[in-house]
Amino acid sequence: MLEIMEVSFSYPGQLPALKEVSLSIAAGEFIGLAGRNGSGKTTLTRLMVGLTKPAAGQVMLDGKPAKDCGPAVMARSVGYVFQNPDRQIFRDTVATEVAYGPEQMDWSETERQVAVANALLMTGLTEFADAYPRGLARSFRQRVAIASALALKPRLLILDEPTSGQDEEEKNQLMKLLGELNRQGIGVILVTHDMELLLEHTRRTIVLHHGEKVYDGPTIELFADPARNVGIWGLRVPDAAAIAGKLTEIRATVRSVEELADCIQQLRGGKTHEEPGASV
Amino acid sequence: MKSLAPLCNLILTIVISVWTVLIWDPVQLAVMLAAEIALLAYAGQLGKLAKALFSLMLVAGFFSVIQLPFNVAVPVAIASGLKMMVMTVAVLLMLGTTRLPSLTAALVSQAKIPFEYAFMFTSALRFMPDFIAESHAVQEAQICRGYVQSRNPLKRIVAYAALVEPMVLRAITRSDTMAMSLELRGFGGARRTFTQQIDFKAQDYMVLTFLAAVTVVVILYR
Repeated sequence: MLEIMEVSFSYPGQLPALKEVSLSIAAGEFIGLAGRNGSGKTTLTRLMVGLTKPAAGQVMLDGKPAKDCGPAVMARSVGYVFQNPDRQIFRDTVATEVAYGPEQMDWSETERQVAVANALLMTGLTEFADAYPRGLARSFRQRVAIASALALKPRLLILDEPTSGQDEEEKNQLMKLLGELNRQGIGVILVTHDMELLLEHTRRTIVLHHGEKVYDGPTIELFADPARNVGIWGLRVPDAAAIAGKLTEIRATVRSVEELADCIQQLRGGKTHEEPGASV
Repeated sequence: MKSLAPLCNLILTIVISVWTVLIWDPVQLAVMLAAEIALLAYAGQLGKLAKALFSLMLVAGFFSVIQLPFNVAVPVAIASGLKMMVMTVAVLLMLGTTRLPSLTAALVSQAKIPFEYAFMFTSALRFMPDFIAESHAVQEAQICRGYVQSRNPLKRIVAYAALVEPMVLRAITRSDTMAMSLELRGFGGARRTFTQQIDFKAQDYMVLTFLAAVTVVVILYR
């Protein structure tokens, strides 16, 4: 649905932020976008939603140049959740905040109400509809930001480091939500520095380094090849992949510590960790 | 202006504001505005501030027009809008050409203002670009949710008004955090020193003499 074709971009007076990056994003993918700070991740996502215009190359949405659409039209297809949810929140109740996007569309009142109700339901915020959004915990404010993007019924949702500043439980809940949205057919692009999340939840990863695309492929293969030194791209091999790397027979199949436990258990001919009474 | 001493830049801004208060001729105010814009261009700040200037022009225009139904003469209404622009551009010019730590140092060392007050003043100035950046970020977030900026200036002002409350709340939160951070780093403790070069040079004295002369002319011929 989204094609990035040899896109380059530079901020005034600075080194190029992106150098001839090309990639293709199909509907319903769950993609991780990784790389050091300043590698071009945010610039790339801003180009994807039309907030930034490329200096060279093209962004195509459903075969049409994005520059002909503009970000307001792009928003119907590509939702964007900023790193800091507070930047998106400016109304006094969760419901009116989520309703802002639908109000900008030429939808009927009923369509708007249904869109808001669905977005609140999808993000588990229905009971907070009348709450003051800026008074909620950060993880809930993040959900409000996601619900606000979902209210426009996008086919692709881009989240810029959505788990920063969240504890483990909040992270897990957020990833569960994103997994659920993805199962419903919404594509997800997750910008993150959290390699555990990347390995466990994404199927494909794009790595940027000094504005260039240096890896675009299955996430599991990114960490499975011991010859690939991901450290030079500012990435860390997740624990599960590092341990699996030591166990060569299962190296290319493990995504999480739980899966690793299952594999070790299977190798030993025992029960998996999900089964009652299982022990590793 | 970058080569002028920080205190000289501040005096220049204050003096321009004084002239602006004294002058009511739209033509003279327009000439002052044009001179300021030329200085902004010379200082390499015009490109960065072009959008802000355009928005300011809309607000000033709105401010002028809104006075007309209240029997205010057209030249006076135009002059009011121009005064607003000239004063604001003078502050923007100073902010774009003066490093705020240098200005703080100048206020304390040369103007003998207590550090706490000087810091408060420069912090308030620093807040302006932050506020502009913040409003830009919120507007981007709105665009990502389908908002299309109207060409109608009234609609734009109404849309902008919706951002004021969250931005003020955020500013209060940020100032509270900043106050805590300052206290934790010993703000208001021992007598402090500055490393910035803030001394007046010949060009600063020349500018001050010129400002004094023009002020006298403005007072005599207004």
